[in-house]
Amino acid sequence: MDRKTKIWTIIFLAVALLGLLGWWALSSLGGGAVAVITLDGVEYDRIDLSKVTESYDIEIDTGYGHNTIHVEPGRISVKEADCPDGICVAQGAIDKGGVPIVCMPHHLVIKIEGSEIDA
Amino acid sequence: MPKTRKLALMALLSAIALTIFMVESQLPPPAPIPGVKLGLANIITLVTMLLLGRKEAGAVLAVRVIMGAMFSGSMASLLYSAAGGALAYLVMCLTVKFFSEKQLWIVSALAGIAHNAGQLLSCMLIVETPGVLAYGPILAVSGVISGCFTGFAAMYLLRALKKLRP
Repeated sequence: MDRKTKIWTIIFLAVALLGLLGWWALSSLGGGAVAVITLDGVEYDRIDLSKVTESYDIEIDTGYGHNTIHVEPGRISVKEADCPDGICVAQGAIDKGGVPIVCMPHHLVIKIEGSEIDA
Repeated sequence: MPKTRKLALMALLSAIALTIFMVESQLPPPAPIPGVKLGLANIITLVTMLLLGRKEAGAVLAVRVIMGAMFSGSMASLLYSAAGGALAYLVMCLTVKFFSEKQLWIVSALAGIAHNAGQLLSCMLIVETPGVLAYGPILAVSGVISGCFTGFAAMYLLRALKKLRP
């Protein structure tokens, strides 16, 4: 292996390591209990998960497709979606800030924010 | 290379890229993270760039991205796909001359990172939620891994293709 290849190998290993570290930090970090659902950047709904006592579903027609959002005490997930990849469903439930659930084909984002609710 | 032969080869490469793209889109995603995938069709973009040139690779890429969105029926994903593809192509064009053929995987890994960066930025613009930037670190990792993989695949494919040539 020549020098140039070595340097780039080290750079890529460093990027991979830092990225994994960053991902791990982001996904374990963050508090909050208010789930904010946005469609195309516009806020659609805001749910205080700490006040949810019984789980229920929300049906959303995004204009690009359909999503069923499952709200549980303390956490939220996408239960069903007719997007091509189904990644939003595979992501499972989130209970804290940090990493939001994203359904890219439907322009839908669910993020958990701090506990104050704007009136 | 005669013009007709070149055109036929480009059409063939576009068809192969499109097929790979469609097959990959039917496979289950490797991780439940939006944007993480192998991007196997990129092998063809790389091979085209080395066999025919930059302009030709750009044309094959454009055909694949547009027709891929049409065939997979997800026009909503066209923008992400195009932004990622364009940025990856740009990085490939700029870096390819600095590396030997044995170092093609480096070009590909850089392109992989660029692809995911473009996809993330376009996603941020479309959903207008800065929170999606939280996916930046893991998408960088995914870009490096899939870029290396497709880069090595392209290198072996080129080696095999050279044996076929008269």
